[in-house]
Amino acid sequence: MSFLKPKTHIEQGDIVILYLSVNSMHAIEAVPTIVNKKGETIQHIFQTNYGSLKVESIIGVEYGSRVELSKGWANVLQSSPELWTQTLPHRTQIIYTPDISMILHQLEVRPGAVVIESGTGSGSLSHYILRALKPTGHLHTFDFHEARADQARDEFKRHGLAAYVSVYHRDVCNLGFSTELDGAANAVFLDLPAPDLAVPHAFKALKLSGGRFCSFSPCIEQSQRCIQELTKLGFNEICSMEVLQQESVIKTRSLPVIDLEFLKLPKTNESSSPEETKTPKELKKYLTSSNPQTLPGHTGFLTFATLPPNIPKA
Amino acid sequence: MSTNVTTPNIQLGDYIVIQRQKYTKLQKFGSLDATSTLGKETLELKSLLDQPYGSTFKMCVKETKSGKRGAQRQHTLELCSDTELRSTREVLGISSSGADNRDICDNGEAQALNSSDIEQLREACNESSKIIEKLVENSKTFHTRTEYSQEKYLLKKEKKYFEFVQIRQPTIRLMVDIFYRQDAEKIMGIRVDTLSQIISYSGVCGFGNYLLYESGTNGLLPAAMMNSIGADTEGTLVHMHPGNVPQKQALLALKLPLEQQQRCVSVNLYSVLREFYQGETTSVSPAEPSAVQAEETLPETPTEEQPEAVEPSTKKPKLDEAPPSGNNKGPLRWQLENKRATTLMHEKFDSLVVAAKEHPSSILQALLPLVRPSRPIVVFSTCRELLQETFMELKTSGKVTALHLTSNWLRTYQILPNRTHPEVNMSGNSGYLLTGFTLK
Repeated sequence: MSFLKPKTHIEQGDIVILYLSVNSMHAIEAVPTIVNKKGETIQHIFQTNYGSLKVESIIGVEYGSRVELSKGWANVLQSSPELWTQTLPHRTQIIYTPDISMILHQLEVRPGAVVIESGTGSGSLSHYILRALKPTGHLHTFDFHEARADQARDEFKRHGLAAYVSVYHRDVCNLGFSTELDGAANAVFLDLPAPDLAVPHAFKALKLSGGRFCSFSPCIEQSQRCIQELTKLGFNEICSMEVLQQESVIKTRSLPVIDLEFLKLPKTNESSSPEETKTPKELKKYLTSSNPQTLPGHTGFLTFATLPPNIPKA
Repeated sequence: MSTNVTTPNIQLGDYIVIQRQKYTKLQKFGSLDATSTLGKETLELKSLLDQPYGSTFKMCVKETKSGKRGAQRQHTLELCSDTELRSTREVLGISSSGADNRDICDNGEAQALNSSDIEQLREACNESSKIIEKLVENSKTFHTRTEYSQEKYLLKKEKKYFEFVQIRQPTIRLMVDIFYRQDAEKIMGIRVDTLSQIISYSGVCGFGNYLLYESGTNGLLPAAMMNSIGADTEGTLVHMHPGNVPQKQALLALKLPLEQQQRCVSVNLYSVLREFYQGETTSVSPAEPSAVQAEETLPETPTEEQPEAVEPSTKKPKLDEAPPSGNNKGPLRWQLENKRATTLMHEKFDSLVVAAKEHPSSILQALLPLVRPSRPIVVFSTCRELLQETFMELKTSGKVTALHLTSNWLRTYQILPNRTHPEVNMSGNSGYLLTGFTLK
């Protein structure tokens, strides 16, 4: 239930983020026992680089607390879409926070919105959409991979989000979003290999009062075909963009500042002790920021469009 | 749920977005005499009343006055159907085009009409397509241009003579574009991608109590957060600001239902913190002297040419709420708001957003204790150095973890058949975000 609303203490069944360091965090389910590969019920022990954690011990603990590991410690944080995106089990490639934020903004998702998403994938974006539209909106999410759809459905249930989402196993490029959703959506999001095939279905699913559309494609050719289709159907405000986030690495550095002035003067023989003839050095502290060695150069092209109101859909 | 709600109609007192091709503008439709200026065109807004949002109107010239910057045209607006809007290329039926530009010289003689001819043409023709038709007829080079170049020419001319405007309902998406394009400083340089990430990282949604400090974004930040909190939910926002009166333009433009408006508690930073630490004060002055000064330097910032945009939002309700006989004897609006805010401050918040013109460090020091553990914080600044220092302070304090300092590239693309490339001009400064999670 840990994704529904902010809470103060860990309850049994919560997804808890075990935060060890910037590069190391894990999502764990707060249950005292788990079933192992042999089908036996065993105590839930979670292994980290800093030793093991008896998961039962964190139930009832306040979120934000420090918990002891056998060889160190960690912080327990309440799961949120941001932390989940960084820790979730990948079933597919996923979309990350910078792109997702832009998608939610451009699709104008807010409480009460009805949103269609395809494909569900690993559910990274779905968790964000659900946070934005609950408690009065609804997400319809589609995936053509049956196991993935089932896993996602199960996950939303365990995360306390089942009331706001319907998960469908369906090939939307060929079959569309089902007639029940005709004219039902405020926004449609596509992350498909051939988005242009699903654009006519998106057109049908959007409300008569209009709506917003987004397609995420790694390759520009997909966006081109998608845009041709959008233009044909009367979408406007079509625009494409990329959002790339850079991290700044903050470090305090101690740098030597060397004095070279003395070289201009002749050596004086009087002070010939070896220490004094050494180059005078001074250490100064600077707070610096630099970009990391590698950073994301491309994620995907985001194509947005508006379906204006009152376009006949016959 | 808004499943079957038809599009709302334009009402007096609404803020509206006027769109002419790609140009958009936020305007208050305050009275039937209200006008709006788009470059050299002045529009009378009277006929918009009760028409549905999303409608397109034709600009009909009523009179032409000579102004400081050439002729100023006054237009009335006429509702029109979408079928009147067709691509100029279709209307003109252009068929022939050249292969390249080897025979085109820029000698200033391509257009046979001179500027006074064009001005007359403009007076005589009501439709942009007619003007453009004449321009094309009298252009010696048009038919030797390539198809792409012709399209560019037509688009350029269309932009100049386009006679349709669309009236749209303001949304956060439309407003951030307008504000950023008109004067990014007025919203503290918060770019669209950064705004979208502030909303994500702060976790603001329909559940929970949120705390925002901002020193002047025309109401954009509180509006964006209230938009995410939503109607008929249980979320609340305490919006702290340094002035006497909060900037609320964007918030008013959203026209939120009353119950939702009331869940945005706007308070003066100094006055509410004093009340929080020292209990209710009997002083009558609405804010600290320092706050008054701050307010003077940060006046309500209306966008150009729309004085009506300034809404003395807190003044009216103050008078309304005061009992009619007893002069100022009942609690004033700001006192009630302070009281509500301090109650929420004692309960603590589920997230903190700071977008300050001041150094964020001391503000965080004052507001961090009001945030529950394991909650996100987001600090915005246009310059990295301030956040760098704050980053280190927070890191050493041990009160905040998972600290990240980030910025963005926002790359926009022109995607057209055979003409796909990144846009020639892009915005270079996203500003910086410092994010993290509070610890116990």
